[in-house]
Amino acid sequence: MATTIPLFASFKYADSLTVVGISFCTALVCEAISWILIYRTSSYKSLKYSIDKAAKKLETMKTENPSSKLTIKKSKTKKIDRVETSLKESSRDLSLFKFKSGAVVALVLFVVFGLLNSLFEGKVVAKLPFHPITIVKKMSHRGLKGDDPTDCSMAFLYLLCSISIRTNLQKFLGFSPPRGAASAGGLFPMPDPKTN
Amino acid sequence: MKESKLAKQNQQQQQQYNHQNDHLSPSKWTKLFDPDATWDKDQLGDVLHWIRQGMGLICGLLWGSIPLVGGIWIILFLVISSGIIYGYYAMILKVDEEDFGGHAALLQEGLFASFTLFLLAWILVYSLAHF
Repeated sequence: MATTIPLFASFKYADSLTVVGISFCTALVCEAISWILIYRTSSYKSLKYSIDKAAKKLETMKTENPSSKLTIKKSKTKKIDRVETSLKESSRDLSLFKFKSGAVVALVLFVVFGLLNSLFEGKVVAKLPFHPITIVKKMSHRGLKGDDPTDCSMAFLYLLCSISIRTNLQKFLGFSPPRGAASAGGLFPMPDPKTN
Repeated sequence: MKESKLAKQNQQQQQQYNHQNDHLSPSKWTKLFDPDATWDKDQLGDVLHWIRQGMGLICGLLWGSIPLVGGIWIILFLVISSGIIYGYYAMILKVDEEDFGGHAALLQEGLFASFTLFLLAWILVYSLAHF
């Protein structure tokens, strides 16, 4: 099956460009779906706003009352705990909200991966400039014949594309999760020892 | 020390109005090299993230063009990029890392994405240019 346009036919590993191109388009489609289902909704906007606000408030309160001080008022400590709890709850709600809508994105990614797999199964799409460690080789040499460890399969290249392109695209478009949510634990926060 | 930190925080809160505007004005460019500038946690995190991505892309293109071959160059990339990030926030911007979550928080900003971008660029250029 012809998988490359004539312009790149002279490159031995021109299929790698096809993989990158499809990954980039997939990332755009996924972000568009995420925007429709998640980012433009008022629930997401209000959750994000409350997380940002709580995170900044917590930071200010902690800076004004560093934990090393022995004379912290009980009321201030209680206030900090209240803000922390509110931040954790908002982060959990945000993660749950994104999780439900993310199923559609996951389906798109699954379909695209299946398509790429059928197009490039058993084909070497790129050459690695290093010998991968065993655990990486399981993915980089997936489905390939021969013993050359520097042969790169579609799966590994697609993984690299997905992570780098999607992360930076989300960052560029402003769809990255708020930093306060990341530190608050997300969907499975650790239990607070102070409340037990 | 505590008063100067509080004054810096008040300035940061005032500057939050400009945070929504992503257009790069001349003042924002000069802020990137100004040791007296005040930084919001998000702003500094974003700047460090994009610097990491730039370094990942440049190193990947360079390593692939020469070409540099071997796992040692992955370690070298990580050392160089982390060194540059550390030098930037500690020596050029002169920020107090404790205000931003410590060295670990600043150094890990954008690390994984830049690492995958570096590998992608390195593999692509190496494969396309040398075979």
